[in-house]
Amino acid sequence: MKSIGQSLPRVDARDKVTGAALYSGDLSMPGMLHMKTLFAGRPHARVVSMDTSAAEALPGVALVLTAKDVPVNEYGLQRKDQPALCGPAALTPGPSPKEPPKNGGGRERGVAGDIVRCEGDLVAAVVAETEAIAAQARGLIRVEYEDLPAVFDPVEAMQPGAPLLHPEFGDTNVCVLDKIRKGDVEAAFARADVIVEGEYRTPFQEHAYLQPEAGIAYLDEEGRIAVQCAGQWTHADRDGIAHALGLANEQVRVIYPAIGGAFGGREDLSVQIVLALAAMRLKRPVKIVWSRQESIVGHCKRHPMTLKTKWGATKDGKLLAAETTIIADGGAYLYTSNKVLGNCTITATGPYFIPNVKEDVYGVYTNNVPSAAFRGFGAPQALFMAESQMNKLAEKLGMDPVAFRHLNALRDGDTLNVGTPAPGPVSIVQCIEAARDRFHWDERRRTKDGGIRPSSFVRGRGFAAGFKNVGFSFGYQENSWARVEIHGKTGIEQVVVWHAGAEVGQGTHTVLAQFAAETVGVPFEKVTMVTSDSATMGNPGSASASRLTFMAGNAVKGAAEAALAKWKAGERPAIAEYTYLAPKTTPFDKETGHAMPNLSYAYVAQAVELELDLETGFIKILRVVSADDVGQAINPALVEGQIEGGVVQAAGYAITENFISKNGRILTDQLSTYLIPTVLDIPDAVESVIVEVAEPNGPYGARGLGELPLLPLAPAITAAIHDATGVWFDDFPLTPERVLRGLGKI
Amino acid sequence: MAFHEIKLTVNGGLEQVRIPSNMTLLRMLRESLALTGTKNGCSAGECGACTVLLNGEPVNSCMVLAVECDGAEVVTVEGLAGDQQLDPVQEAIIHSGGVQCGFCTPGVLISSRALLDRNPDPSEEEISEALVGNLCRCTGYIRIIEGVKEAARIQTARS
Repeated sequence: MKSIGQSLPRVDARDKVTGAALYSGDLSMPGMLHMKTLFAGRPHARVVSMDTSAAEALPGVALVLTAKDVPVNEYGLQRKDQPALCGPAALTPGPSPKEPPKNGGGRERGVAGDIVRCEGDLVAAVVAETEAIAAQARGLIRVEYEDLPAVFDPVEAMQPGAPLLHPEFGDTNVCVLDKIRKGDVEAAFARADVIVEGEYRTPFQEHAYLQPEAGIAYLDEEGRIAVQCAGQWTHADRDGIAHALGLANEQVRVIYPAIGGAFGGREDLSVQIVLALAAMRLKRPVKIVWSRQESIVGHCKRHPMTLKTKWGATKDGKLLAAETTIIADGGAYLYTSNKVLGNCTITATGPYFIPNVKEDVYGVYTNNVPSAAFRGFGAPQALFMAESQMNKLAEKLGMDPVAFRHLNALRDGDTLNVGTPAPGPVSIVQCIEAARDRFHWDERRRTKDGGIRPSSFVRGRGFAAGFKNVGFSFGYQENSWARVEIHGKTGIEQVVVWHAGAEVGQGTHTVLAQFAAETVGVPFEKVTMVTSDSATMGNPGSASASRLTFMAGNAVKGAAEAALAKWKAGERPAIAEYTYLAPKTTPFDKETGHAMPNLSYAYVAQAVELELDLETGFIKILRVVSADDVGQAINPALVEGQIEGGVVQAAGYAITENFISKNGRILTDQLSTYLIPTVLDIPDAVESVIVEVAEPNGPYGARGLGELPLLPLAPAITAAIHDATGVWFDDFPLTPERVLRGLGKI
Repeated sequence: MAFHEIKLTVNGGLEQVRIPSNMTLLRMLRESLALTGTKNGCSAGECGACTVLLNGEPVNSCMVLAVECDGAEVVTVEGLAGDQQLDPVQEAIIHSGGVQCGFCTPGVLISSRALLDRNPDPSEEEISEALVGNLCRCTGYIRIIEGVKEAARIQTARS
């Protein structure tokens, strides 16, 4: 009967292996039209005029949409600073008193709809009887641009006189500034025995989910604009679409069919608004499928960052102080930069107790592709810096890097850099010990050599750790809705769970079925999932920030308990709805960062052994041990799948994925130039160690997982390279060229 | 645009299709035959999500013109399972946990089927070599490789 802790088969697996699972690009409807979108293709310009007459005259063209057609031409998850379509005569919205008070406060006027701020801004959408006609018509649209001075470097963008992207929000491109002031760093540095200073750079990362953006929009049976697409938060997508269309939220319906990966890249809108607008105008189904290039140009990336820092410790290895300035390229629009940089700010001291901390973390608008959510949400960048500092300090102190971490690791009650302790049991010590022991770190045991190697091959090992908040929080009231129905007469025959959480591949629908089975006390097979429809379900919250198992699990558990009580009272069927409200949190204090920003954290430590060819600069990862505290593994096989997938994605981030943007134009817009790991690029072994230190507020003790395995790998790899070569790499990806340059070979 | 009438066998059934010269096999499968199990991840032969068996060989169907397939035999993911039973590669990848988002899965299964057809007992290196054209962003491939190994065992046990 027990479901929690069992590696039960995914509820969606059979459909996915037979080809029956339908993704948004697989859907079609009678009378369906096809849409193509036109990117601006330039980083900063005013759209002077547009001539769509030739496109409109082409036989088979049903509609050409430009800025003047968008009822409320603005969108954005955290700040509505992006036009849905850029062009003249845009209906510019007025001041918005509802803008979050943070980061510059409310705006004075609406976003200028005729300004293009990045290459991926849309200027038109064409709807036609066939894809080919739509593509041909798109080629007939004439756009006259007046190019504007552009800025691509966030440091330059911070200088007075730099081209301003969003004057509506004030006279600066700085869109986020988080500060930490804890203790007295100057005094602490004065009494430190060792000090390590560093400057680190982290790159863009492209999500490269296998399914490019696609969707179909139509009027449903109740006259609502329905959009079936891939996303991460049904209700936020719905609200964003409704806002731009000038409709009430309930007049729009968002449904997620199967989703081909997300990793944060689908948290913000892409094709949905123009698609919905076309269906509303034409009253016919309209479908769009982006190509791979359109996907890479058209959606956000992981923030590139420059991180300058100085850490001090005593000679017996106790951390005293950290002073850090981080500048993140936010790109042309805010997206979730404020949230991403909040996490970055918190994790920039690593999972360690540091009594004195000063941080200034800037997010800056540039004319690059927008940066936003990507698995880890600012923590991988911050931890690359923090963990590199830890490894360098350990070296300088002559201490073992694992022992040094163990000595400084956060314990229950230790304050984070925000001046309050992490809630819940703090388990970084357990993770460090678990990774250390599985790796046999203290025995300096080496992976058995597979045979004779050329003399240019060297081996090294490295260690790093990390932590990550579960949930968005920072004052946001985390919540999730669920409905559970218990059907039967004398005995329970079926349990139906209604939940709108996005199944992006992580297995959430399976896990939620496990929660329902466990709570009601029935076999897993009796649970049926009804999922991801904003019209028939309450708000699930997003599938991001490692939050869904925690929040949705609590929601399903609560609904199941309530339904079971009704069942026991004789109700047939027994139906209950429940909205889980997580413990309250607070935003950063503007000057000191003092806050209780999160309700839960999860912890991870990783050890890596690799081999490096000094002649070619090629890195082969031999072994990764990843110890992740998930609180309680609901489905251990799914946990291990997340760890392995996260480790390989992190290996891509650290080594092969070399995203190149030049003057605001993305040069790596194909999978042949942006190299995600293939089956031949993976470590020889990835060993998952599931640590389970129960989270009291988590459902059955669960914490969050999705982001953890991606967090510490890059600094563990650079530590291993240092172990092998004596050279520190403070930037990545560690392409052969970068490695050879770092080694002084080229 | 010139059109062509072609006849081919798809998943064991004879199909007669009228297609334009520039239509790829992928588009024909998805649009003319409504076989949407085969996915389009890049249209450039880079991701392998569109892999099908063409006369027994795995090919990126986005890189093959439909008109080239006159008289050919094509197997897609929809054609792997029998009436009663999943193909060993399907059964094994479910069991091994090699499915996450599932978008690469059809192509992975077809490449795996092609491998096991010519080599019923592949080594780990041979499995990796057979799957090098199939990108997966979710799983890290480890459970996919495990799945192919398990499929080989199931296949041997069934035969």
